[in-house]
Amino acid sequence: MSQISVTGQTAIERATTEARPVYFPRRKKGIRPRSIAILVFLTMCAAFFCVPLYVIVVTSLKTMDQIRLGEIFSLPEVWTVQPWLTAWNDACSGINCNGLKVGFVNSLAILFPSLILSLAISSVTGYALALWNVRWAGPFMFLLFMCAFVPFQIIMIPLIVLSGMLKIYGTVWGIAIVHAVLSMPLLTLIFRNYYKDIPNEIMRAAMMDSGSFWRTFFEIILPMSGNILIVVLIMQITSIWNDFLVGLTFGGLGTQPMTVILANVVITTTGEVVYNENMAAALLTAIPPLVIYFFLGKFFVQGITAGAIKG
Amino acid sequence: MRIRWSRWAPQLALTPAVAITMVAFLGSMVWTIYISLTRSRRFPDYEIDWSEWGRQYARLFNDDAWLIALKNLLILGVGSTLAIGFGFILACLIDREKRGEGFFRTVFLYPLAVSLIVTGVAWRWLFDPNLGLQAFFHSIGLTWLRFDWLASGDTAIYGIILASVWQGSGFYMALMLAGLKGINTEIWSAARLDGVSTWKFYTEIVIPMMRFTFLTCAILLSLGVVKAYDIVVAMTNGGPGQSTWVPAYFTISAYWQKSNLGYASAAAVIMLLITAAVFLPMVLLTLWQQRRSGRVAA
Repeated sequence: MSQISVTGQTAIERATTEARPVYFPRRKKGIRPRSIAILVFLTMCAAFFCVPLYVIVVTSLKTMDQIRLGEIFSLPEVWTVQPWLTAWNDACSGINCNGLKVGFVNSLAILFPSLILSLAISSVTGYALALWNVRWAGPFMFLLFMCAFVPFQIIMIPLIVLSGMLKIYGTVWGIAIVHAVLSMPLLTLIFRNYYKDIPNEIMRAAMMDSGSFWRTFFEIILPMSGNILIVVLIMQITSIWNDFLVGLTFGGLGTQPMTVILANVVITTTGEVVYNENMAAALLTAIPPLVIYFFLGKFFVQGITAGAIKG
Repeated sequence: MRIRWSRWAPQLALTPAVAITMVAFLGSMVWTIYISLTRSRRFPDYEIDWSEWGRQYARLFNDDAWLIALKNLLILGVGSTLAIGFGFILACLIDREKRGEGFFRTVFLYPLAVSLIVTGVAWRWLFDPNLGLQAFFHSIGLTWLRFDWLASGDTAIYGIILASVWQGSGFYMALMLAGLKGINTEIWSAARLDGVSTWKFYTEIVIPMMRFTFLTCAILLSLGVVKAYDIVVAMTNGGPGQSTWVPAYFTISAYWQKSNLGYASAAAVIMLLITAAVFLPMVLLTLWQQRRSGRVAA
């Protein structure tokens, strides 16, 4: 390694001294064969990633008559939105044929309380752990770190029993609270990692000013955490919206989120599989997170890497 | 460094988090471990017969479905490493060829924003033996190509692997890309001036420098594989037969279909042990890294 860095330094010197006389403001490279090969390969990979999306979109707009022909890639001969309407209004999940709209409403009803709860708990906890002198902060954070990776199944049954005792089992609130509980360790660690870099001077000034835990949080820390709040918010929205397991195990009849209803619609079909309706149902479920992803992708990427590395 | 100002407020603010950790995580884990030692069936039975405390575990390892689930977990784990390799290749190419970086990154990552149920449903359709991709391949003359993997118990798990690789590669690409960006550009230009071949540069310089990124990816992948449930439900629902059961699926079905608390708890405890076996290296690694960076700072 040392050898490389030594030669590296000389190489850099060489490069800089040589480059100085012929300096172009923006060197435009011509496309070389290697670049073309790389771009072709990347485009092929991109096609691999796009094929399923393309196929679900066209399938959802076809009639069943055309689907039976087996031409999976062909465009619809007759464009129809009927599958979308059926999936939204009348698709059958078990014996209930009220479509995905029920699930959509439930998912929203789960999402909002759960977002507020999880952000409130984890930001305050992260703040207290990062900036206040809590003696057992170290061991507690280690514990949180472990809890963040525990498989859901090991705590599922007691949580079901507990929520049954609290009379929230099977309600939208129950699902929301379980989501907030499950995400608390990871989110706390993310907030704590963000707040620990806040300069000491700011905290000292805050101490001179009011010295109050809550006033410092609301007047100084919270206004500084816009970026991390958006990242965590997007992370939470997509993970709660896409969750299946919690919705399945804690949802009652009529309070199931959209993913559970989608799975029921698709799995419990008897007779001919109505692929166009299934694909429309899948797309309806996928649209909200996809919209967020395509508009706020930067924060989405930050969220997953923060969750992965710092968690 | 922190301000010494301990009053009630911070301790009070931490109460909910501490309560959640103690009750919902630690307490629940202890409860599940305890129940796994009892004879509980439909309802919890708190009596432990110490002469045969391991009976649920003994039953578990005599259960063919559980052994299938463990085997599938291993196959999934090994097969899913393709996602790391694929992600690394994509990251290297994107990093090399700066053109279209934003576009390719967006395309490779979008599956991650979609629910695994949706992914499973989409792939289930592509794998349809009569109307899916197979029909397309046959219609263009590739009749030897079989793409009905989900229909047979021997190949169904590979179908799940393909869908998971499709879903997860973008994630590893993002992590790898972050790692590659951390490599000093001077090393890159130095290697080029010294005439190091591209292949050698990646295998002998880049990969060793990114070993922590690789390790992180591997551990995250294993944790994800242990948790794999949604995609199995959406693609095969465990079938054909029990051929695509995984431990997560087994545990849920032992509780919901068989209503057997003790049995489900025992399976969950094994899941926890597998997770711990994967997780321990990560903890040690983090501690080691912290100590190392501490030494550098000092």
